[in-house]
Amino acid sequence: MENIIEMKNIVKKYKGFELNVPEFNIPKGFATALIGENGAGKTTLLDIMAGVNLDFKGEINYFGKFGNADEGDVREKIGYTASTSFFMPHWKIKQVSEVCSLLFESFDPEKFDRICTDLSLKTEQTKEKKVSELSDGNKMRLMLASVFARRDTSVLMMDEPASPLDPVMRDNLCDMIREYLSEDNGNRSVVFSTHNISDMENVTDYAVVVAKGKIVEQGFVEDLKEKYISVKGEPSDAEKAKKFMLTFSQSKYGFEGICLAENLDKLAGMDISTEAPGLHQISVAVMKANM
Amino acid sequence: MKIMQNSGEPIYKQIAAQFRDDILAGKMENGEFLPSIRGLAKDLKISVITTLKAYEELEAEGLVTAVQGKGYYVNARDTEMLREQHLRKTEELLLEAIAAAEIAGMTDEELKNTLDTLLRLKGEE
Repeated sequence: MENIIEMKNIVKKYKGFELNVPEFNIPKGFATALIGENGAGKTTLLDIMAGVNLDFKGEINYFGKFGNADEGDVREKIGYTASTSFFMPHWKIKQVSEVCSLLFESFDPEKFDRICTDLSLKTEQTKEKKVSELSDGNKMRLMLASVFARRDTSVLMMDEPASPLDPVMRDNLCDMIREYLSEDNGNRSVVFSTHNISDMENVTDYAVVVAKGKIVEQGFVEDLKEKYISVKGEPSDAEKAKKFMLTFSQSKYGFEGICLAENLDKLAGMDISTEAPGLHQISVAVMKANM
Repeated sequence: MKIMQNSGEPIYKQIAAQFRDDILAGKMENGEFLPSIRGLAKDLKISVITTLKAYEELEAEGLVTAVQGKGYYVNARDTEMLREQHLRKTEELLLEAIAAAEIAGMTDEELKNTLDTLLRLKGEE
């Protein structure tokens, strides 16, 4: 498995918070999701990766050749969106296009216009508005249009792109990510952070769970779905089962939760039902276990 | 290809099963390339890793072969093994039929007659 970005011994300290990542790689050709609670360190990690935050300790390697984001054509290859709009508040859509054309060689104004039209940013109500007058959802659409309109990026890094979007737009975003990955023979990758795990599950290949500044679980989603298992059982077995479960809840009708598949044999003899958990269940279980 | 999100059967298994059926039924020929992993993921609205896992399963079964940078092509040369798989599937389904017949209280004779009738009807098609 090739990596597009490799990081070692990344440390970033703020008052009362430390991001500490001994080793972390982004696999090439896949969509990687950073999952975690507010304040877990997802944005810090993403900003370091994107070259937005250069004030950190540790090593980072881009595309197997460059040691920081300012070397070579790294910045031309990375498309980055923040969780809130980074455009000047008084710009209109047309000026966003003009500025992006100046900043990035491979920015395609026609593609930008096309995407803006697809994302309903060119309606009578929105096309003449200033950035500051757009809703949060439309601000995010505008940022997305600005990165998807660049022809030569190899990786998109998006901080909470789904959060301000409505359900239909989230679905569109997933389609856009899959289409992006399908171009250029598997040489393109995507990294995004998200709270909307269920909405993004069908576009997530590699999941990374961050808690309190550390990576507490990571893996390809299909592997994680085999590592963890969702268990439901009878009230009489609850006490005995509890100590083998990562998450556990109980009612008078029975118990349920997530356990490691390798611990399933410890529940042998109990009347239980099992199923493969979704990414949402797995993530919540891992986060709770690391609280 | 029909993918059910909530059927309980993992999506990668559903995909592998449909390609397996097409390959075993001869609808996909030896040498023919499967759709690209990321193209299929896009068309089916699922993640890349899910399609990759489906293809890896087919590869493990010896139905397709991966070529670095080019994708997966049908390579079901081992016809004996394919026949074996068909035989196993036939047995499984017959066992299922026998179980259902037992629940319905059919005698062995009635079950055999039913099978004969079905075979005859199929022959007349």
